[in-house]
Amino acid sequence: MKNSLWVEKYRPTIIKDVIGNEEAKTLFVEWLENKRPTRKAVLLYGPPGVGKTTLVNAAANEYKFRIIEMNASDTRSEKAVTRIADPATSFTGLDKFSSEIKGNMLFMDEVDGIAGNEDRGGVNAIIKIIENTRVPIIMAANDCDLEKLRSLKKLCLLIRFQQTRIPLIILALKKICEQEHIKYEFEALENIATKSQGDVRSAINDLQGLSEEGKTLTEQDTLALGLRNKDISMDDTLQGYFASKNLTEAVILLNSSNVEYDDLLMAISDNIPRRYADPFKLAEAYDYLSQADVFRGRVGVENWHLLKYVYNNLAQAAAVDPESYKSFEFISPPIRVITLFWTKNKRTLLANICTKIGAQCHISKYEAKMIFIPYLRLMLQQKKKAPALIEWLKLTPEEVTFLASLKMF
Amino acid sequence: MVILNKKGFKLPRVEKEKFITLIRLGLEYDGQKMLFSVKSYNNINQLRNTLQDILKSEIAFTQTCTVCNVDFNCSTCKYVKACPTKDLPFSCVCNQCLRPKKNLQQQTLF
Repeated sequence: MKNSLWVEKYRPTIIKDVIGNEEAKTLFVEWLENKRPTRKAVLLYGPPGVGKTTLVNAAANEYKFRIIEMNASDTRSEKAVTRIADPATSFTGLDKFSSEIKGNMLFMDEVDGIAGNEDRGGVNAIIKIIENTRVPIIMAANDCDLEKLRSLKKLCLLIRFQQTRIPLIILALKKICEQEHIKYEFEALENIATKSQGDVRSAINDLQGLSEEGKTLTEQDTLALGLRNKDISMDDTLQGYFASKNLTEAVILLNSSNVEYDDLLMAISDNIPRRYADPFKLAEAYDYLSQADVFRGRVGVENWHLLKYVYNNLAQAAAVDPESYKSFEFISPPIRVITLFWTKNKRTLLANICTKIGAQCHISKYEAKMIFIPYLRLMLQQKKKAPALIEWLKLTPEEVTFLASLKMF
Repeated sequence: MVILNKKGFKLPRVEKEKFITLIRLGLEYDGQKMLFSVKSYNNINQLRNTLQDILKSEIAFTQTCTVCNVDFNCSTCKYVKACPTKDLPFSCVCNQCLRPKKNLQQQTLF
């Protein structure tokens, strides 16, 4: 029974079977049938597990399109996108005339994940392809409000996917139970659906994990399920993290937090001296924290399988001495973030000065900052030479005052 | 709370600008039947707010059951508090279809 994933086994193959988001489905089908020809591409966006990818696969199956897919596991640099997507969107395969296949359909999943050096130029390449395409281009993203997707959004028909409702999830779970001959208590399915928070995929995975052949799935079996969506804020995360009574508790909490890994790492690092009064315990906790930091560095933007080691080490740091926990006031947000916020104006001013020096002296901003600024500060103290220098560099009075008061950067 | 049927509902007479806003937000107006209906769902939240302003009351759209195709209201649903999408989108499963009541023969008689 557990040989194959039910998520795959029961993945709908026709559009009608995709649960929820009826309006989004209608809009998508209208676009695919060319009733909305104003846009050459479509961007499906919404939380994970609501059926974006499933809808595309079902539509391709129903309308006889061959899907050419690029997802987050592929490198999506300008070169890679052009190499794969360009021929797929500009030529017609010969098999179009001999088989049922209508043509190609380019599907780019998780376009909001295009980031970093490896995917450099990816978004621009997609834009070029959309402008020249002859086939439908479909993209999916969890978050379409990102700055990097702004130019892409202008070219796309945006279709929003909402979280799937509890009754619809229950209905889907009921169908699976019936097909797998699993006896169930209605309350158990209710619990699974409620805790999935609109994520059908996780609800089906939970059902598969909890059900056993020949045994009735009871409400009791589902009580241990945690909420699937990451809804815990920074303060709540820190509160729960430092108060964890054991390693497992800390791991569960970290897994259900929606705080960015890097922010979390910094926040824990700031607060850990308040948590452990004993210097030996503190040193041990910092040791785990440094290991977590090492793993975070190795995760980079693609080795996400290493993320569990980040969490494990962070959890170890919380569980060094659970008995000694006393509530304390947290430093939040992280000191580094606060410092960056407070020094933003100064950093902008310094960057402007460095740009001016760079333009006059034909050097980089970095060189201007490291080599020229310390001397410039001294030179501005000389009253005779200062005015000529200020005029040559076109420094504003504000910038001169800033340089005069500069102690370190 | 005012319950609106998405397939056709009446509104009090509104100014020209307001009417244009409603149409731009995704409503459609049938001049013969004098009924508004929801045509586009992309700006549904804004549309809902505008309608609430016009009707000066909280509004809710009827839902269509995906199983029996009957229109029903969210307030009858027991999951309404935990629902992640309030009364949008417009399709769901009604109570009767979700947990069909046992027929007389199946019920235990005391």
